[in-house]
Amino acid sequence: MDALEAAAAVVWPARFAAAVPYLMLAPAVLLVGLLVIGLAYIGDTSLRTLDTSTFLLSDDYTLANYRRALSESLFRTVAARSLQASLIVTAVTLLLAFPYAYLMVRTPSAALRKLLLIALFLPFFIGQVVRAYGWLIILGNQGMVNDALSLVGVAPLRLLYNYPSVLFGLIQYMLPFAVLMLAPALTAIPEELEAAAHSLGANWLRAFWHVVLPLARPGLVGAGLVVLTLTLTDFAMPAILGGGSQDFIANAIYDQFFRTSDQGLGATLALLLVAAGSLLVGLVLYLFGAGTLAMGRRR
Amino acid sequence: MKGQKFDSTVVLRRTFLKGAAAFGGAAALRVPHAFAQEPAKPAEIIVRAWGGSWVDSLKAGVSDPFTAKTGVAVRHDLTEDNEIQPKVWAAVAQGRVPPIHINWDTTTNATKSALRGVTEDLSDLANLKNTTDLAKPVGLDGYPIVNTYGYVYVLAFRPEAFPDGPPKSWKDLLDPKFKGRIAFYNDGIGFHFPAQVAGGGKLEDIPGNMQPAWDFIAKMKEQQPLLGEDPDFTAWFQRGEIDAACTISTNAREAKKNGVNIDWVVPAEGAKFDTDGLWIPKGLPENELYWAKEYINFALTKEAQQVWLDGLGLPGVVPGVNPPADLADDPSYPTSEEDFKNLIRISSKVQVENESEWFSKFKSIMQG
Amino acid sequence: MERMKPAFRQPQAAEDRQAAVSVRGVSMVYDGVHAVRDASFDLAQGKFLTILGPSGSGKTTLLRLIAGFLEPTSGEIFINGRAVSAVPPHRRSIGMVFQKLALFPHMTAAQNVAFPLKMRRRDARTIPERVERYLELVRLGGLGGRRVHELSGGQQQRVAIARALVFEPDLLLLDEPLAALDRKLREEMQLEFRRIQRQLGVTTINVTHDQREALVVSDEVIVMEAGMIEQNASPLDTYRAPATSFVANFLGVTNRLSGVVTSLDGDRIGLLAGDHLMVGAAAGPGGSLQIGARASAAIRAEQIRISPDLFALSGLETVLSGTVSDVIFEGDRVVYEILTVLPETGPLRVFDHDVGSRRQYRAGDAVHLGWNARDLFVYKADPEPAATKPDRGD
Repeated sequence: MDALEAAAAVVWPARFAAAVPYLMLAPAVLLVGLLVIGLAYIGDTSLRTLDTSTFLLSDDYTLANYRRALSESLFRTVAARSLQASLIVTAVTLLLAFPYAYLMVRTPSAALRKLLLIALFLPFFIGQVVRAYGWLIILGNQGMVNDALSLVGVAPLRLLYNYPSVLFGLIQYMLPFAVLMLAPALTAIPEELEAAAHSLGANWLRAFWHVVLPLARPGLVGAGLVVLTLTLTDFAMPAILGGGSQDFIANAIYDQFFRTSDQGLGATLALLLVAAGSLLVGLVLYLFGAGTLAMGRRR
Repeated sequence: MKGQKFDSTVVLRRTFLKGAAAFGGAAALRVPHAFAQEPAKPAEIIVRAWGGSWVDSLKAGVSDPFTAKTGVAVRHDLTEDNEIQPKVWAAVAQGRVPPIHINWDTTTNATKSALRGVTEDLSDLANLKNTTDLAKPVGLDGYPIVNTYGYVYVLAFRPEAFPDGPPKSWKDLLDPKFKGRIAFYNDGIGFHFPAQVAGGGKLEDIPGNMQPAWDFIAKMKEQQPLLGEDPDFTAWFQRGEIDAACTISTNAREAKKNGVNIDWVVPAEGAKFDTDGLWIPKGLPENELYWAKEYINFALTKEAQQVWLDGLGLPGVVPGVNPPADLADDPSYPTSEEDFKNLIRISSKVQVENESEWFSKFKSIMQG
Repeated sequence: MERMKPAFRQPQAAEDRQAAVSVRGVSMVYDGVHAVRDASFDLAQGKFLTILGPSGSGKTTLLRLIAGFLEPTSGEIFINGRAVSAVPPHRRSIGMVFQKLALFPHMTAAQNVAFPLKMRRRDARTIPERVERYLELVRLGGLGGRRVHELSGGQQQRVAIARALVFEPDLLLLDEPLAALDRKLREEMQLEFRRIQRQLGVTTINVTHDQREALVVSDEVIVMEAGMIEQNASPLDTYRAPATSFVANFLGVTNRLSGVVTSLDGDRIGLLAGDHLMVGAAAGPGGSLQIGARASAAIRAEQIRISPDLFALSGLETVLSGTVSDVIFEGDRVVYEILTVLPETGPLRVFDHDVGSRRQYRAGDAVHLGWNARDLFVYKADPEPAATKPDRGD
């Protein structure tokens, strides 16, 4: 045993011990480093314009792509739509996810808890694209909903290929993420706190408002950020449920890269999306505090 | 998925220039057909193709007979055409062997690759001498691409929705009863040129003044059209989501084969005619390049075209191919001078140089 | 106008005969199991009641019924004469200190104390002054700005008490709040509860499994077992005159004996245990003992005299001999375990408090034991003779 330790000391002297935590950080640093390099390439590409007589990017740097991205009404429309959708989807998803998570965590019935969990996880095994196609089948002109409506004499309704249907698909897609982020935060709130609030004179609503909600804030902020960024960058739902006229930023980026072969403008839009997302996340953390994500030491 | 696409499109400019120079040199040194015998046969060659009935037709008409004849196996890669493009571009730029041997591509997209200089010249294919003018790409030197057939962006419609007879004009789609019941390609491809005519403009003004087209498209926007891609049209017709669409006749014919009552016309303002082709990316080993060329050469034979294009229902580039029974005298299967009079052809070069602008103009109208 | 001092509510006048809390025939059934079975008691204004019992005895259920977190299966609870079964917790004027305190971690001490005032929509201008007054009452003056996790365990206890009292509830409920504290702090807080309760005169119901706490702080003690109230009496009577053999065994260090009743003479009972005839006092409801029937008996360890000399025990009504089997030194006392010839009885436990001056016995020493008849409680035989004694303390 001593010999083993001595050998270990030669290979890994004690004075290296301080380096261990940094060493363990290495994979993360490497990963982030690669991401930064990728971003640098994209940044480089974003400063070059496409020459449509050779389909090569220009040699010299220019801000033309940024000017186009910020001035063309198409990109403004698409960006505004993505941003608005991410706010609506986040708000509605949190509103729906909270009672679901709360019931799942608090119900005394093990059977109900299991049912809620299964209902939550089942959609996870079905990818986003497949789920979107599922909605095409359910909400289509000859879909189940319209079939049911026709039984009561209602003419087929156009339920698909519009903004609300994209929002609907996104909310349905985001719900499990939000519930999964909220559930641990709610589990961490002792039930006794709610009982205490009641005994101290708070009705259900006020106990919820003054005790449960503030204590659930880390979960709400976390879930909100996940839903916000996933929605802002979503591609499949607007592509499939939007009927082609409800593009988000990601769809516009796709078009630049794969339809018009303009990698410069595509890179520009991608960078602007990263910037908008970061700004939004920063704003949320500024408003609610990074501490709400249980980051940093407790004050 | 998205990340992967991203990575593959990051091209280091300097690497590209180096790679391109190296290939230019190699090409100059190479003497075509210097071999006394056939070069070594590769285990397989990879042909990028569209899925569904498209690849089935290609397999039946070209790939399987080619394998039977030469013993070279053919694998079909079903990556979307616009997604394979950046991969091929990146491979050539970085001096790697490209991921495919042959790209089955739209002539417009292929022209971009040709302009970028990533395509092999195919002028020396023996069977080119038997082809019509359609095989030759317009506005490019030599044969960086070989067009293999043409197709028409027709006005496809459900006869039930047009009780007074087939539509005669694109303007018929402005009828309020078709609100939300018509469809176009999501970048407007195929509709820009007839819209220019329907909006009162002239084809000669393309690309200089296309305002009439944009005005007409803006009117069409009020009809809240669905916007999609090839598979969407077939699906939408089958599910009864739409009554009419501007789409390639092949998609409408596909829905018809599946039992949906569909018909199509070339309206008075005309319809866009375009071509698809085959091309070979630069950077293949000498022997593989040889057999890839042999494949395309075979695709230009009458026997191959007959089977392949029967499946697609499209007119080929070799004289004497018989149209499928259901398409005789069909406006989407032009064979005579008369047939072509009502079809709109714009050179690939003009399309390639302006397409990006047209797409975003169409999109900004439709997304507004 | 509120008077400045003394600012707290005075204990109610003795003439106020209406019970502050009245529990009438309350039962609670969970999944077919009686957690509380037909419980009834009255508690007068200003009194401190402790419900004592082992875990699973139903004491916490009874408390939660009174608090309103549970609704009784049958029976009714009255607070100040008003039936409350249909009244939700937040409408009952009840302050409660929870087992884990349930302080709100996102608030300061002062915000915690202000919470019930805010919920009751008291005049916002008077709240800070009142909060400070109650923080001073619990000796936390000036610490209101601290966050909960910046306070020690004892300080957190005090915040919880202040929060439960600041709105002058009709009733204060304590749900084993001291269970998690170490012994020294627990004993300090027991006295603190007593002091504050007396100062405010608030009617209080405390739940605990700690017999010492029950005896120290209470005016009245209810002992519960298996959902039933075994005894409801003053701490002194509970200890001195346990009504049932369970109570006798639950409180103090008690030796259990059993035998056959040989004579009934008022309270004096003759009991034959093996060859030994001993005399004891009838305990609990009278008339339940019959000559010739089996009975069980209990004698507390401190009531047994021990001596090497038989004559030193003359005058005691029961005397027997035995052998020391173990000696346990506990600091302030020595516990001897003595093997006797009594049937169905393990070694008897005997205290010797005078650790210094008296002689010490060693294992194997022959000794004599004796006790007075009034200290041996005789009960109708337990259905199950060897009920285990719960652990003391926690």
